[in-house]
Amino acid sequence: MSAIFFYLATVLVYGAVDAMACLALNVEFGFAGLSNFGFIIFQAVGAYVAAALSMGPWKSSNGGFQQYVFGWHLPFPFPWIGAALAGGLLALPFVFLVGKRLRGDFAAVGLLVSAVLLNQLVNNYVPLFNGAAGISIVPAPFQGFWNPQSLGYQFAYGGVAAVLSILTYFLLRRITESPYGRSLRAMRDNDIVADSLGKNLRVQRTSIMVLGGMIAGLSGAILVGFINLWAPGAWGYAETIVLFAAIIVGGAGNHKGAVLGAILVPLGFEEITRFIPPLSNPSLIPALQWVAIGLLIILFLWFRPNGILPERRRILSGGEVLAPAPATSNDDGEPLINLGNLDNMDFRSLLRLKGDAGEHDVILSTEGLSRSFHGVTVVSDVSIQIQRGRLTGLIGPNGAGKSTTLAMLAGTLAPSSGKIFYEGRDISSMPSHQRAQAGIVRTFQLASEFKKLTVLENLVCAIPHQSGDSFVGAARGRRHWGREDQENIERAKEMLDGFGLSQYADSYAGGLSGGQRRLVEIMRALLAEPKVLLLDEPMAGVHPNLAHKIGDQLTRLVESGMTIAMVEHELAIMDAFCDPVIVLAEGQVLAEGTMAELRAKAEVVEAYLVG
Amino acid sequence: MSGDLSTAGQILRATGLSAGYDGRAIVHDVSVEATPGKVVSIVGPNGSGKSTLLKSLVGVVPVLGGSVSVGDTDITNMTPERVATLGVGYVPQIDDVFPPLTVKENLDIGGYLLPRHEVAARIDSVLEFFPRLKSMMSRRAGKLSGGERKMLAMGRVLMLRPSVLVLDEPTANLAPLVATQLLEEYIRGFAEKGSTVLLVEQRAKAALRVSDWTCVLGGGRIVLQGPPSELENNPMFVESFLGGGASRR
Amino acid sequence: MSVFLSSLGFGLITAAVLAIATVGFTMQFAVTNVLNLAYGSVMINSAFVTYYLNLHAHLNAWVAMIGGVVTGSVASYLINRCIFTPFQRRNLPPITIVIVALGVDLCGTFGLQAIVGGSYFNYRQSPGRQWHFWGMYFSTLQLTIIGIAVVVLALVHWLLKYTRLGKAMRATSANMNLARNSGVRTQMVISTTWIISGALCGLAGTVFAMDTGVFDATSAQLYIVLLLSAMFLGGPGEPYGAMLGAVTIGVATEVSAGFINPQYKEVIAFVVLLGMLMFRPYGIFGKEKTL
Repeated sequence: MSAIFFYLATVLVYGAVDAMACLALNVEFGFAGLSNFGFIIFQAVGAYVAAALSMGPWKSSNGGFQQYVFGWHLPFPFPWIGAALAGGLLALPFVFLVGKRLRGDFAAVGLLVSAVLLNQLVNNYVPLFNGAAGISIVPAPFQGFWNPQSLGYQFAYGGVAAVLSILTYFLLRRITESPYGRSLRAMRDNDIVADSLGKNLRVQRTSIMVLGGMIAGLSGAILVGFINLWAPGAWGYAETIVLFAAIIVGGAGNHKGAVLGAILVPLGFEEITRFIPPLSNPSLIPALQWVAIGLLIILFLWFRPNGILPERRRILSGGEVLAPAPATSNDDGEPLINLGNLDNMDFRSLLRLKGDAGEHDVILSTEGLSRSFHGVTVVSDVSIQIQRGRLTGLIGPNGAGKSTTLAMLAGTLAPSSGKIFYEGRDISSMPSHQRAQAGIVRTFQLASEFKKLTVLENLVCAIPHQSGDSFVGAARGRRHWGREDQENIERAKEMLDGFGLSQYADSYAGGLSGGQRRLVEIMRALLAEPKVLLLDEPMAGVHPNLAHKIGDQLTRLVESGMTIAMVEHELAIMDAFCDPVIVLAEGQVLAEGTMAELRAKAEVVEAYLVG
Repeated sequence: MSGDLSTAGQILRATGLSAGYDGRAIVHDVSVEATPGKVVSIVGPNGSGKSTLLKSLVGVVPVLGGSVSVGDTDITNMTPERVATLGVGYVPQIDDVFPPLTVKENLDIGGYLLPRHEVAARIDSVLEFFPRLKSMMSRRAGKLSGGERKMLAMGRVLMLRPSVLVLDEPTANLAPLVATQLLEEYIRGFAEKGSTVLLVEQRAKAALRVSDWTCVLGGGRIVLQGPPSELENNPMFVESFLGGGASRR
Repeated sequence: MSVFLSSLGFGLITAAVLAIATVGFTMQFAVTNVLNLAYGSVMINSAFVTYYLNLHAHLNAWVAMIGGVVTGSVASYLINRCIFTPFQRRNLPPITIVIVALGVDLCGTFGLQAIVGGSYFNYRQSPGRQWHFWGMYFSTLQLTIIGIAVVVLALVHWLLKYTRLGKAMRATSANMNLARNSGVRTQMVISTTWIISGALCGLAGTVFAMDTGVFDATSAQLYIVLLLSAMFLGGPGEPYGAMLGAVTIGVATEVSAGFINPQYKEVIAFVVLLGMLMFRPYGIFGKEKTL
């Protein structure tokens, strides 16, 4: 009978350890989009540090038959704290690898290889890790006071582990279900766009990798204190794949899914096979386990890619769940969008616009800006001035370098040479997110919505200065940021209402039509409270009638003191709304003036008609 | 020029064509016909759907409505490789050569559908047409200048002696003199040898000079069409590029 | 000096095996843009087929080797056709394809282990007489392996440079749409590429097993790292780069083993791979993939 209880206690410990690992990896992979294929290393290092801290000096313990570092003989809970710290510290070099703008699969290979490399090192380097033999006789916490073999101890241990995993669950939920969590998911869906909205990707990635590393380290410490040994063979890179399988099965981006995955995959596989009678071929069962995990990954990714418990859609609009309106469409198949009461919207208060209309000093300018790709010059020696409170148009034939110029203004691309000045300061080398925070916000030519954020989340996410949009702010809980977030949501809803898209508030932005996504992007950029708004072909794919209505609103924004620069193909729009218009051709400024003036210039007509 | 590349052209015809990506039409209800021995050009402002129209003709972009035919064969939504076998040669605007392959290898691929023993002779006739390529046969296509690269792109297509040539902005990023030569000498030359030429061109005035019929595309529809002599003097023509009323609907 | 030369000899053998493997791997990447991390499992399965045909079915070693090559070919074709192609049609991010590939790798490696068991297998050929050149020693077997590699790489060179199929492969890799516009049936070219690269994979597995002599079902799991570092060194998708990378990595690991602790000899490959990924992900010379 007591065997069953001992067994249950063991299951409790393993379950808690697996759950913590899956929760941590899920925050990295499912929320922040960091595919950390080296995850198991964090757990292994935590376990090792906990072991080495809790044991006595290696020369004097047990006759010195195993070598390790530390050997400080620290009492509980210091080894566990040390393990968490070690996991967190180890994250720092890894951030460098996941932070590179590398193809996803290349980065994953890099992390995978790091895991293999470290395992190799551990297996072979005796003085630090005692080689392939690993470390045994790791003391259990309090073993001088309480017999670790007693049932009471084992259950207490399991209880502590379970409590810690539950605490992990709530801590992670607190972080992810906050404005900061929203920013993390935005980064996951499209990092370049998140950057352009003022999110500091490096800080976000570092915070999550460190947090995940600490939890992984702690979970390793819990395990090593229970089984009392640490062998490098148990931390092979394939163990990370098991954890990925767990998250894919359970549901990436869902904490409950991570826990479910932990119970089903690492724990379930280990436990179920215990009950299979021994076979003549001892490696058959473990081998089949691995095959099953491989199959599970492939089958789930094919048939149920979002897992058993898919990521939850966050309903921000507050209860009144509006059924998506039946899409009415015109003969072009583009759903008709009826703008709401945009004309009554008070942009100055909604967008916190400061500054007076009617001031037209130069706010943003360039000097000799150039950019080349692989030796081909796309923009050469462009010097332009954008005046405050005006709607400046940028036109030119294909390949004239308009979008490239805009990207350099926003910091998405670094100039090859030349300078950019903003409000008198040289911002040529300022990173994109800092420019956004300083008030230069851009939109993109290609679809750039955060697909797995709802429309409302897309909008709220862009609002600057949110007290819950930092790791610490999020950790302080809803009490700290809840009221403010509610206000932000109301602002976003007002905006959404004005653009007539209220019924889509809680729909995933990725499911909207092309024209609607354009509107979401414009609204999102506006809510980032720009002083200078840079629009890259905002009217592409938008119905002409609607384009003119948007143009009217841009005019109102400019009259309220905002500065807008816009790249656009549709010259009718330029005609109606932009003054001045700058013509670029073959990477250089060709002319500047009103459309009427430009039309009178022979060289502009030539550029368009002859080239 | 060499008679080796001359061909009996076929009629390329699009009827009520709508096309676009992801089920969303960018080109709406366009009907256009190109006939042997003639150059038909399509002009229009950026983003008016010119390239999409061409791509849908040759099977690169899905056709959502209407039909496309070459001669008597319906080629609506046929795969690009099948379209190529029917004698339609398509030169895209960018990515028009295989940069890591040499000039000779690019031409070899152009002649992929030919019987092996005809390839060498056909390369000779293409080189006769574009003599500048002769001296750079073993150079990588990625290292050519813009004009040479375009000649190679055309040469690749000519390898199959196509009855219909579909060219997407062949003069983009070319120096003006080279562009003029390309349009007036070579492209005009194809038509004179019997090919059907359908051309998208950003240099609208230049397009008028070389074509027999011109369509102006705006917002994915044909807003104006006619023989060049007629369009040239039509005030709507300039307006459709530079605004001022024509492109507003 | 003698340490250097004898380890250089080892390096050439390692490089020979690695070059065959890496060229196959990089060709798969070139035409389908997939990092086929299941490559190692196909290698080892092929090795076992050769082993079985040779030692249990008592076939001539060369005939058995053909069995291994065919296994690699068929398995690679099926993996691409039944798994990678359908997943790629869904426009998934590359990371998902990598996870799928790792899943396939687990199935392949441990499916084999479930059949053959977890023990090591001894595939020692008679090494033949010893040859001695410039301070390097080779057995006949080792010279045979180097010879096979030279012949195979020459064949690959001939295929890519002088045949219609090879040019079509390179064209497909460089610009798939344009290849289709030229009448190339790219789907068929891609399938053929996987069959040929799979044959290289099977051959690599077989000579790998012959070279090491002792192996088990999981022996190729670490090998993929050597292969990746050779590929990234020469630029992903570049067969000639792969050959160069393989020789560099093969020689570097063995020569370094002659001077430092041989247990760390793979470390140099890891470091090269990480360095390449961080600073030159498209190879020392390359900008992007080309075949």
